[in-house]
Amino acid sequence: MRLHLFSASVAAVALGLAGSALADDDVTAWRLFVSDHEKPMVTVIDALDGDTLDTFTLKGPATLYRSETGETVFAVQGSAGEVSAIFTGIAFHDHGDHGDIDIDDPKLLDFSLSGGKPGHFVERQGKVAQWFDGEDTVRLFDEKAVLGGQSSFRAVNVTAPHHGVAVPYDDHAVVTIPNPEDASKRPIGARIVEGDGQQVGEDIPCPGLHGSAGSGNIHALACDTGLLLITQAGNTPEIRHLPYSPSLPEGSASTLIGGKGLQYFVGNYGADRIILVDPSATEAFRLVQLPTRRVHFAVDPIRARFAYVFTEDGQLHQVDILKGEITKSMRITDPYSMDGHWSDPRPRITVADDKIVVTDPLSSTLHLIDAVQFTQAGEIPLEGKPFNIVAVGGSGKMHGHGDDHGHHHAHDHGDSQISKGYFEDSQVQARALSDWAGDWQSVYPYLQDGTLDQVMAHKAESGDKSAEDYKAYYEIGYKTDVERITIEGDTVTFFRSGKPIEARYADDGLEILTYAKGNRGVRFIFKKIEGDADAPQFIQFSDHRIAPASADHYHLYWGNDRAALLKEVTNWPTYYPSSLDSKEIAEEMMAH
Amino acid sequence: MHTSKTLLATLIFSTLLPGMTPSSATGTLEVVASFSIIGDFAREVGGDRINLRTVVGPNGDAHVHNPKPSDAIAMAGADVILVNGLQFEGFLTRLIEASGTSAPVMELTQGAEIIRDPAGGHYHYYNGKAVFHEAAFDPHAWQSVANAKIYVTNIAAAFCDADSAGCDAYRSNAADYLDRLSKLDDEIRARIAAIPRHRRTVVVAHNAFRYFEREYGLTFLSPVGVSTESEASAADVAGIVQEMRDRRAAAVFAENIADARLVEQIAAEAGLELGGVLYSDALSDSAGPAPTYVEMMRHNARTISQTVVGP
Repeated sequence: MRLHLFSASVAAVALGLAGSALADDDVTAWRLFVSDHEKPMVTVIDALDGDTLDTFTLKGPATLYRSETGETVFAVQGSAGEVSAIFTGIAFHDHGDHGDIDIDDPKLLDFSLSGGKPGHFVERQGKVAQWFDGEDTVRLFDEKAVLGGQSSFRAVNVTAPHHGVAVPYDDHAVVTIPNPEDASKRPIGARIVEGDGQQVGEDIPCPGLHGSAGSGNIHALACDTGLLLITQAGNTPEIRHLPYSPSLPEGSASTLIGGKGLQYFVGNYGADRIILVDPSATEAFRLVQLPTRRVHFAVDPIRARFAYVFTEDGQLHQVDILKGEITKSMRITDPYSMDGHWSDPRPRITVADDKIVVTDPLSSTLHLIDAVQFTQAGEIPLEGKPFNIVAVGGSGKMHGHGDDHGHHHAHDHGDSQISKGYFEDSQVQARALSDWAGDWQSVYPYLQDGTLDQVMAHKAESGDKSAEDYKAYYEIGYKTDVERITIEGDTVTFFRSGKPIEARYADDGLEILTYAKGNRGVRFIFKKIEGDADAPQFIQFSDHRIAPASADHYHLYWGNDRAALLKEVTNWPTYYPSSLDSKEIAEEMMAH
Repeated sequence: MHTSKTLLATLIFSTLLPGMTPSSATGTLEVVASFSIIGDFAREVGGDRINLRTVVGPNGDAHVHNPKPSDAIAMAGADVILVNGLQFEGFLTRLIEASGTSAPVMELTQGAEIIRDPAGGHYHYYNGKAVFHEAAFDPHAWQSVANAKIYVTNIAAAFCDADSAGCDAYRSNAADYLDRLSKLDDEIRARIAAIPRHRRTVVVAHNAFRYFEREYGLTFLSPVGVSTESEASAADVAGIVQEMRDRRAAAVFAENIADARLVEQIAAEAGLELGGVLYSDALSDSAGPAPTYVEMMRHNARTISQTVVGP
């Protein structure tokens, strides 16, 4: 299914992106996850070219939520009593000012939660709280475990089944308090509980509680009297009640969304008004009147100044958060009256890259609106009744010279990607000691005698450090008093000042490490089975390879504590074949 | 060591337009400072001619600041925006973009003696997790008073460009303040020089004191983060404790912008008492010991010296 483009320039941009993934280049990828109003399915669409990447079958029609990282989309199937999870295939490794992007196929994860009436879903910083309206416990679990295919959870008691919500923290959760007279009515407030359900502190009243959203370090819950603002002080959540301003007309919020990039909240306030909330401002609430009743709203995660509201007259509105007013409006669909059942199919909106995407269930279409120009930019036809929609993606550096990364949904990481530490667990295979058989010399003496100065100068030309700084870095890295190593069969011999220490080693598995910079490496580990007492209990090879192949050089870690060795990341004695002279080693290093 | 002149291409820096005048009707210059230390410099130079808003306030950590719509509104109305640069204010680019401001953005580290970070960044620790903050150039340049003087000179120049009528006042305020900074510099040097050489290695959680180290001859150690598949990135406490023993570290200090649990653990494992609180990336509030830059630097030098040699 191809995107029907209204503008030729958009096509040019899309093609430009597709061909732009060169070494260490910025790569942009965005995916849309769309559920159907009636059918148990989720369609994954490449937001940049409109291609359908995959379709997943679920147990029931789903409401979709994305995690903060964007690595997971959760599909809450209320009518089927089921929650599923999809790996989006787009992952970022944050490095402060820039991020690296990893792109893989989306896949339905081996994760399933069944229970009575799954309802509100809240995720923050990788912690998930899945509410079940029909049960008296909320289920807490980690996104990381979900990505690892685990469906285990921690259940925390919430007194009685009710339509509530929980917000997960490290060792605590904030949970709603059911109405003691009638649990089918809205909750009357919130409280903090520990992992075992034990309450911490007082109940915080907030009657008619419904709706929650996070923005930066604040999570907000809406109720009849105002907002509960949850922040974290050390390890424990803190709750503060922010009452609606007396200047607001009679009303309250029951649906919230949270700003990205700027810390604010948007709530409904009656059917045809919204409030903008900046908890830090003297006048925390600003009211924005809509022309007709609100159908859906979303914040723009990229152009932090804007949020969007879709109204029942088929119009999309751009709301300027700084001005506190609607700045642009455009008719997108036929009218979708808010009369009728609340769950009737009506448009939902999201933002992907520079497009606002509006689902139009009754015309089986996704509408694309250019978020910068606020003009229509195309549409994607989609069978059925496209309903809920979430977008994940962004731009990041894609490292290495992988030609197979020419397109943003390339699947395989090239070898240079692997050698730079970007690979999938499934690509990693066990290796035998014979991969490192031979006679090896330490390169540390060549660093000390200046032979490698040219290598440092070469690195400084393209790197972000000076040659002196590189030398200092490698001084720590290469440092060792083992000048030579021979490996023959299962016997490893270490030479210290010419004196050999020898032992036999057997395979002891491998470990995949994630480094601070976000890239990864594999340690291939061997354990001493017999030999000289001074020979280390464990040796761990690292040679930028992750599957069987003869090493051309390697870094070796050794010691008697297997786990502690895994934490050694600054000193990595490095060995090249003894047959090479110092000049050849320098050339070899500069060739990489 | 490189001066930031070589970095121009990577910095966000707008040239000031000559003849630009304050936009507010009262004639006061609307100034936005990115964090508390710069805010203090701006107040010293601007005096009552400026109306100052500081984005990240006392004891705030600029690395994790969540900018507010009100910050963006202030930026939109600013005549001058003063920032540190060198990727210190992670929120800055987005905030400037969201605000749509046309005010000049002055990077105060321009012209300062900048240290390249050999590790390409440093760690912050939040709730037991290690977060690597990548920055090729160490941004904490104000920890040397010599660099602070360059910040102040840059601020006076920015104010003069934006408000030529007030230029004499700005220059005169800056000159007075620079004198006080020179005295502060002498005082810190004297205090650190009095510390015996074998007591000059200390430990902090977050490596924000390289400039102090270079300028005044102390050594600061700090843990690095480690990460494996089985656990979230956390501080390598065993590694730093070993390093402390090898290098005979004299004391461990907490910082105002971070919770003290990590350094408490390090101090306990190394058998040392925690030596008090240093102010690295933010001033204290007015009730604290470091409400101004001068008091902050004096407090840090005094706290270190009193801990390692006694009062």
